[in-house]
Amino acid sequence: MITERSKIIFKVLGAALLAIGLLFLAFNPSSQVTRAYPDREEVVFWHMWTGEWTEVVNRIVKRFNESQEEYEVVALPIPRSGADFKFLLSVAGKTPPDVMAQWRSVLPAWASQGVIMPFEDLMSPEELEAMKEMVYPVVWDIGSYDGKFYGLSVGLNIWALYYRPSHFVEVGLDPDRVFASMDELDAASEKLFRFDASGNILRIGFLPQHFHGWLPSFGGSLYDWESGEVTLRTPANLAALEWMQGYTHRYGLDRIIRFNSSLQSGTGGTMDWPFISGAYSIAFDGQWRVEQLARYAPNLDYRVMPVPPGGTEGLPQAGLVAATFMIIPEGAKNPRGAMEFIKFWSGIVDPDRAAEFYTWGGWLPISQEIAEAPAYRAYVGRYPQFQVFLDILPSPNLTILPPIVEQNYLMDRMNQMEQRVLRLSEEPEPALQGLMIELEREMSKRRERP
Amino acid sequence: MKDATPFITRLTQSGWFFISPWLLGFLLFTLMPFVASFYLSFCRYDILSAPEWIGLDNYIELFTADPLFWKSLYNTFFYALFAIPLGIVAGVIMAMLLNLEIRGVSVYRTLFFIPSIVPLVASSILWIWLFNPQIGLINAMLGWVGITGPTWLSSTAWSKPALILMSVWAVGGSMVIYLAGLKNIPVELYEASVIDGAGIWHRTRHITLPLLTPVIFFNLMMGMIGAFQYFTQAYIMTMGGPEDSTLFYGLYLFQRSWAYLDMGYASAMAWILFVIILVFSLLVFKSHKKWVHYDH
Repeated sequence: MITERSKIIFKVLGAALLAIGLLFLAFNPSSQVTRAYPDREEVVFWHMWTGEWTEVVNRIVKRFNESQEEYEVVALPIPRSGADFKFLLSVAGKTPPDVMAQWRSVLPAWASQGVIMPFEDLMSPEELEAMKEMVYPVVWDIGSYDGKFYGLSVGLNIWALYYRPSHFVEVGLDPDRVFASMDELDAASEKLFRFDASGNILRIGFLPQHFHGWLPSFGGSLYDWESGEVTLRTPANLAALEWMQGYTHRYGLDRIIRFNSSLQSGTGGTMDWPFISGAYSIAFDGQWRVEQLARYAPNLDYRVMPVPPGGTEGLPQAGLVAATFMIIPEGAKNPRGAMEFIKFWSGIVDPDRAAEFYTWGGWLPISQEIAEAPAYRAYVGRYPQFQVFLDILPSPNLTILPPIVEQNYLMDRMNQMEQRVLRLSEEPEPALQGLMIELEREMSKRRERP
Repeated sequence: MKDATPFITRLTQSGWFFISPWLLGFLLFTLMPFVASFYLSFCRYDILSAPEWIGLDNYIELFTADPLFWKSLYNTFFYALFAIPLGIVAGVIMAMLLNLEIRGVSVYRTLFFIPSIVPLVASSILWIWLFNPQIGLINAMLGWVGITGPTWLSSTAWSKPALILMSVWAVGGSMVIYLAGLKNIPVELYEASVIDGAGIWHRTRHITLPLLTPVIFFNLMMGMIGAFQYFTQAYIMTMGGPEDSTLFYGLYLFQRSWAYLDMGYASAMAWILFVIILVFSLLVFKSHKKWVHYDH
């Protein structure tokens, strides 16, 4: 039985709850960004770094904010899984950030869709030319699409071979000798594999992965820069893929799957890397591992060597370079401030100062000036393994991903193709052919647009 | 009505007021996208530029030139074909067992219900571990009886069966509904049949199961819709791999829309899925007169 009195009590309680809720929403401190310099122009910066990396980003942002009096960069970490479409929706909704750090295959697509701003709008031709002169050629290529420049790298990624000297010595290999060919890598790997009595793998010598990362060392490529065409079915590409599949033939798919599955914690963290535990004697990985190993396995004895040339058309000091690059969305409220921040971080204006930022993140520099800056030299002095990557940087045999709108699609489908080949479900030649058909279909679908 | 009393009018107004959040939500976030997606399925649309009308191209492309569409459809049907019947059989058996008058039965009921309230993401992560070929619990148990377990989620042959097996784990949700259905069966029917000399098999076959069919029918419909929309577990556990063997329809739709911003194409996929679910629902509805018994 509801009395008049209890009705009133309900109403009062309801109103009070609503008021408290609204007050909480309005004054919840966590929903507001605290500004250290409220009177400056705000530059909103989105990035996808998490954990220890957020700290590095915040330090760089702090340095920038202290370095001048016009802008304040406010850094906002965005969860990686939804970052791309959040960004696109923000552009479509006309509320984009001013600058974003990206490392995924998005630049050509976003540039072609007019989502990001060409640097030509914000820099004078002289400034741009000076920048082009300064940075490594790959930095220019990575940021370019259709004759304009859209994204400046603030760190490069190169892959090389990490190896455990103790394992080498144990099987009678000379840890000081750099492999001269892929055959030598194969032979060393063969010696380094360990099995138990029933034939299960106990240690993997080496196992190739990431098809696109190996192509340059075989003289292969995904793109013909002269004709502007994607090239998948070339003899060199085929040789690389066949070489990779050879490992599954030799060591057995089932055994490899079982061994690998026992290594993963599933967290994707640093300690998941099987090289650290010694489950792999040789691993193909990026330069950021140097910094991680220094932090999490400081006593681990390891070395790094460049990938040797493979096949008949192989090239030395070759590899695929990827980058973390800064983009400015179309419709950004403060593109000038964003540009100042990018120049500051990348080291375009003061390489000596920026060199320190590169060392904080374990990133490869974008120019020779930064590589030669005192702070960077000191860093390499601490981690001599880094020098191997630095030596690869000026090499003419470096390539980047094809600057095509379908880059993201190509990478996804290429991973699936690689999986099928390495799992022996498909032979390399038809696999490359199939990938080309898939890509052509996707391209024609988009090209139909008038 | 003109002569409606002010009280009724007031009541109507309050009624509208109270359902307005839901109504607005429905109009803005369900009906509008629903209608829009139908229009978009005839367009090329990438969110950033205005949708461009291309007629039936998306549908033609899907049916004639996209092997992944067929692959994802096959994977989804495969899953539905095994997971739905298995879920029903397991749910009914479990409900019948937990309907027995034994000590501590409510504790068992709770225990079997708990898995269905575990968040999908958490249980998916848990099952990644259980399915681990080398250090997972399932293969360890198979090892005790001398069987070398398969590589489960890493194997094209076993990845779908693994996910089907996993679906049984969360059968507790439908079990509770079956249990309620069992409780609803009048005791006098059993008493009468016992007097007539019916054994346990006859009682199950001629009383329990027929009178449970309305509940089975409900769970079949819900299970079917759920199976055709299967997404979360595959997204977390396999991302469609290995070799697209767990690329389910919902997952491929998600990739098309959010990874490649192919919204028109994805809308067409969504409408095809809608029609598939509609057709199967109608078929089940049509058949239900033959096997669902409502009268006691």
